[in-house]
Amino acid sequence: MAKYYGGCDVGSTYGKCVILNEEGKIAGHATVRSKINPVETANLALAEAIAMVEDLDKPEDLTYLVGTGYGRNKVPFADENISEISCHAMGVHVTDPTITGIIDIGGQDVKGIAVDADGTVKNFAMNDKCAAGTGKFFEGMARAFEMPLDEFCRLSLTAKNVIPITAQCAVFAESEVISLVGEGKPREEIAAGLQVSIAKRCFVMAKKAGTDGKITLTGGCAKNEGLKKAIEQVLRIKVAELPIDPQLMGALGAAEYARQMSM
Amino acid sequence: MRDLKHIHFYEELLEEANNSLVRKAKDEGNVAVGYTCYYIPEVLLNVDRAFSVRLRAPRTGSLDISQYYMSSFICGYSRALFERAFEGGYNFLDYWCASETCQQMNRVVENVDELKLIKNDKFAHGIIDAPLKVSEHGVKHYVTQITHEFLEPLQERFGIDISDTAIRAAVKEHNEMCAIFEEISVLRKESNPRITPREMHILSLVSYACPTAKILPYLKETLEDLRTREADEKNKWRARLVVVGSELDDYAFSEIMEACRAYVVTDRYCFGTIPGRQQIPLTDTEPALEQVCRFYLDTNMCPRFMSQDKVMQRHEELLRYAKEFKADGIVYEQAKFCDFWGYEKLIGTAYLKDKSDIPVMSVDREYVISGSGQLMTRVQAFVESISLKKRQKERGVR
Repeated sequence: MAKYYGGCDVGSTYGKCVILNEEGKIAGHATVRSKINPVETANLALAEAIAMVEDLDKPEDLTYLVGTGYGRNKVPFADENISEISCHAMGVHVTDPTITGIIDIGGQDVKGIAVDADGTVKNFAMNDKCAAGTGKFFEGMARAFEMPLDEFCRLSLTAKNVIPITAQCAVFAESEVISLVGEGKPREEIAAGLQVSIAKRCFVMAKKAGTDGKITLTGGCAKNEGLKKAIEQVLRIKVAELPIDPQLMGALGAAEYARQMSM
Repeated sequence: MRDLKHIHFYEELLEEANNSLVRKAKDEGNVAVGYTCYYIPEVLLNVDRAFSVRLRAPRTGSLDISQYYMSSFICGYSRALFERAFEGGYNFLDYWCASETCQQMNRVVENVDELKLIKNDKFAHGIIDAPLKVSEHGVKHYVTQITHEFLEPLQERFGIDISDTAIRAAVKEHNEMCAIFEEISVLRKESNPRITPREMHILSLVSYACPTAKILPYLKETLEDLRTREADEKNKWRARLVVVGSELDDYAFSEIMEACRAYVVTDRYCFGTIPGRQQIPLTDTEPALEQVCRFYLDTNMCPRFMSQDKVMQRHEELLRYAKEFKADGIVYEQAKFCDFWGYEKLIGTAYLKDKSDIPVMSVDREYVISGSGQLMTRVQAFVESISLKKRQKERGVR
């Protein structure tokens, strides 16, 4: 019987799962909105990914399963848990081994990761002091703008100018945004200011981790086009595109570790 | 592994500063002397009927009151002590020995005094001006300060015998305790050690938080138990780490280390096993007080010392520990807003990266650690960067 290896990344906002076959190719994957209970999130993500693989019926059918993300030790039937920092590094490494730097923007923290030649972590830096620069921050801002998140993420792309936002705190930034909107400032320029302020936070994490060379974005916020553009401006580099959904990198790295561990 | 003898009793003792052994010593008419810093030689507070209690604030909650009286930019340890004093947690104290080594802690003592927070009529405090350099002049100044600010007040207010004979007796008892820790420290060098980081942290904390004479019999029994204890057959540790940094009162930090399968081979917090639990050698040719003071200045690793010899001593000692204890990495831990350790971790990290290839990580943390998922992620990622790299190397991946 064919062997399959799973990686389940239980994040604060989304749960992700990747299943690899023996050759390391993706056989199934899933992304689900996180529930308050991380076990439930893991079960949902696993069930959805397993449904994509004909040979699998249940998580126990996986040869090896690695949990990652903040809920990594709550993944049912996991053989092991590995931190999301290590998993993002490995996920990116197997996707594009030429990439040596990662900015991972998740739901509740931002990380800069320098990747070694073997896919392990060379160094990392992590911002966990507040919600600034995280997915939660962008969700709050989209609410303040009264628009869906994906629409907010594209809003800044049409800005001709950038209105600087001074507050880094998610709560105070929201107040500042409301004041600026009240003053009649162009919304796309306010949005551009927000993206630049977060890009600067990402810059600090990337530098603290000692990243150099080719850099990519991972995590849910990697899909934020406005943020990507702002990061490219602030870091003065072209962010490397990944051929696989950047939100899946943690789960992919976990699955790759699962594959390596049972070989 | 089976439970270590007295471990649950030790956990209980760490639940409050005025623990059952402190209360027992007080009931017997002894004099409780609180202190907070390695600049204050613990052994000198254990002369005659006096006994030392390193002040802690277990189960700390909101720090709003201390923030009002001081600032939110004061380290959590200082604020927690003030808050606990405000709550009445140190009313058992007869004397508080402080040092101007850390201005933040100075503010605590001054506020406690100004607000008359210790409800004990006999209570008083003394603050020493500690030297910034280790020299014979520095030792002389240190001796004078300790005599005037600590020893003489203890003699005058409480009738404590501070003679050379009394100091030598205190050193003898102190050395007895240190000998226990020296033997336990050797056990941490084993490839599959029979004592866990959490247990070691607890043992170290109780030895500071309880009267030496009262805790000593228990520690002796624990050591006896350890001599025959066997580690679990499967070695679960992924990496061996040296941990250094600020005052670390919450053994939840060591629990996080354990959860990440990191073995703390040795520790150098403001207090800890190095320095602090090494025997003090005494000769008969010089007064014991001078010898004790010189010993404390020589072994003091506080980043407040900025002279080049002390800076180098701190870094070189770290590399020595790493070699001696076969460590895979070094962790700097800093209490948030601890000025001294804030720059020490930066300089130390740069030095170690430059002079060795040992991986170094630095983290900052609150006074109370439990429930810190982010800290766990950082530690786990650091441990993995060591252990996964080893494995990739074994697999021939490069």
